[in-house]
Amino acid sequence: MPRAIETQDLVKEYGDLRALDELSISVEDGEFFGLLGPNGAGKTTFIEILVGLVRKSGGEARVFGQDVVDDYREVRDAIGLAPQEYNVDRFFPIREVLQHKAGYHGIPEDEAERRADEALKTVGIYDKRDERFDWLSGGMKRRLLLARALVTDPDLLILDEPTAGVDVQLRHDLWNIVQELNEGGTTVLLTTHYIEEAERLCDRVAIINEGRKLEVASPDELMDRGTDTIYVRTQTTPSTAPDLTHLDRVEGVTIEDGRLAVRAKQGGRVAPQVLNELEARGHEIVDLEITRTSLEEVFVELTNDDGEGVRSGEESAGIPGGDSA
Amino acid sequence: MRFLSVSTYALVKREILRYVRRPSNTFLPPLITNVLYFSVFGVILGDRIDRIQGFDYIVFILPGLIVLGAISNAFENASFSIFHGRWNEYIHETLTSPMSYTEMVLAYIGASALRGLVVGVIIAFVGYAFEPVGVARPFYLVAFLVVISVLFASLGVVGGLWAEDFDYLTVMNQFIVRPLVFFGGVFYSLEILPPLYRTLSLLNPMVYMVNGVRYGFLAYSDIDHNVALAVLSALTLAVVLVDIALFKRGYGLTD
Repeated sequence: MPRAIETQDLVKEYGDLRALDELSISVEDGEFFGLLGPNGAGKTTFIEILVGLVRKSGGEARVFGQDVVDDYREVRDAIGLAPQEYNVDRFFPIREVLQHKAGYHGIPEDEAERRADEALKTVGIYDKRDERFDWLSGGMKRRLLLARALVTDPDLLILDEPTAGVDVQLRHDLWNIVQELNEGGTTVLLTTHYIEEAERLCDRVAIINEGRKLEVASPDELMDRGTDTIYVRTQTTPSTAPDLTHLDRVEGVTIEDGRLAVRAKQGGRVAPQVLNELEARGHEIVDLEITRTSLEEVFVELTNDDGEGVRSGEESAGIPGGDSA
Repeated sequence: MRFLSVSTYALVKREILRYVRRPSNTFLPPLITNVLYFSVFGVILGDRIDRIQGFDYIVFILPGLIVLGAISNAFENASFSIFHGRWNEYIHETLTSPMSYTEMVLAYIGASALRGLVVGVIIAFVGYAFEPVGVARPFYLVAFLVVISVLFASLGVVGGLWAEDFDYLTVMNQFIVRPLVFFGGVFYSLEILPPLYRTLSLLNPMVYMVNGVRYGFLAYSDIDHNVALAVLSALTLAVVLVDIALFKRGYGLTD
């Protein structure tokens, strides 16, 4: 079974600027894959190469085994794209916009009409079907972009910042729709600035910066690579922080607000050892709290210093699959 | 049996609906403009102007006005549709579809040429209302109208891809297409020109178009109509191929 997306040393240059720098990413069929990176990281360029809106300068890109240049018709037929920018035909009511899009994909008129209605119902704007795009609210516009991506019943759904600027309720609605599609077998490629979104939805995420891949792993694996904090309240606050760095994964201990703050990789695993050690030293434990590193913190750490710190953490933690994509 | 593929048909339909639903922007202006032309040159001034090559002036200028209307609208439609789609990026709906580049180009050209033809027919009816005129060579009339409409729709595709602002569209239509048409023998016969200007006029491709359509109506032409038709057909084919190549290359569309 070919992979949904497979790129090898993908390069895109705009004059002197290298937007993609030998980017190799693989997305499995049926996977929910996130592409994270700061502005200008190359996420949209990557997507636009797949759908033919940007021409690659080098490397290879395949969608379900088909080359994006040589087999562009098959590739584009497999993809439904909800872009970041509003790029909808303003001349027609939105129902017709969807019918036209379905038609371009070779779907006969009757079927296109049925699918347009179904897509509008799925995203909850069927009652606006005779409105033009410009008259929709911001949230409805986002829903329409998703409906347009769905109307061709794609095998690969690409969502470029789908929830940018929408309210919490709509964001959750869109998440539910996309999750259902993914559970039904549709491969989803998501780019987002909302780390929580990636954390909640994605099987795996790739973090890219300046066109290069920094990391690919599941959100849990990435979070495991970060440094957690174990807060321990003892009966009496020690005057100095005990040295626990001889324990595996423990990086340091400080006293914060009358509590011991133990920084460690995979805090959940280390906590029992920490408690045992403290009790052995005569400390009476009264409270314990573990604050896990967020994906956001890992993301910031990776994209700020190209991830040197986290990569070394990966080695010590022995996390597999870091470069599997 | 469907002549076009489902996807090509969908794009042609979209393009046609766009201008059919806005007649006040597409069909009404040439209708009014030509009523004014025929009123002034046919009714008010017509009797004061000598017959040209044995034809009433209003009859003589009718083919040229049809050409002017047809090519302007074919060009404008293709260039506007493509440029507006680029400007608002909704042309991505087409570009990200599985249509082949040839299908895309033929759909844009076909719908735009049809608009040119419809405008040509409207102008013909307006002219007929002022001065009933027959069609002496129907085959040539249809052939020339189709070829020049397709040619200018194809040129409109190039214009739409090349334009970087709406001003470009105005410049192309008002400062290039229209002057060439006006100096292309719409309002006069080449026979009345001094030899030097007559020779220079032969460099203007509009001369062949106007005379071709005139031959279809009146069986009169200043130049060889068969040569004109052959040259224009070849030119049209060449421009269509250029359009397809530009789409394939992504000129004005990608990056």
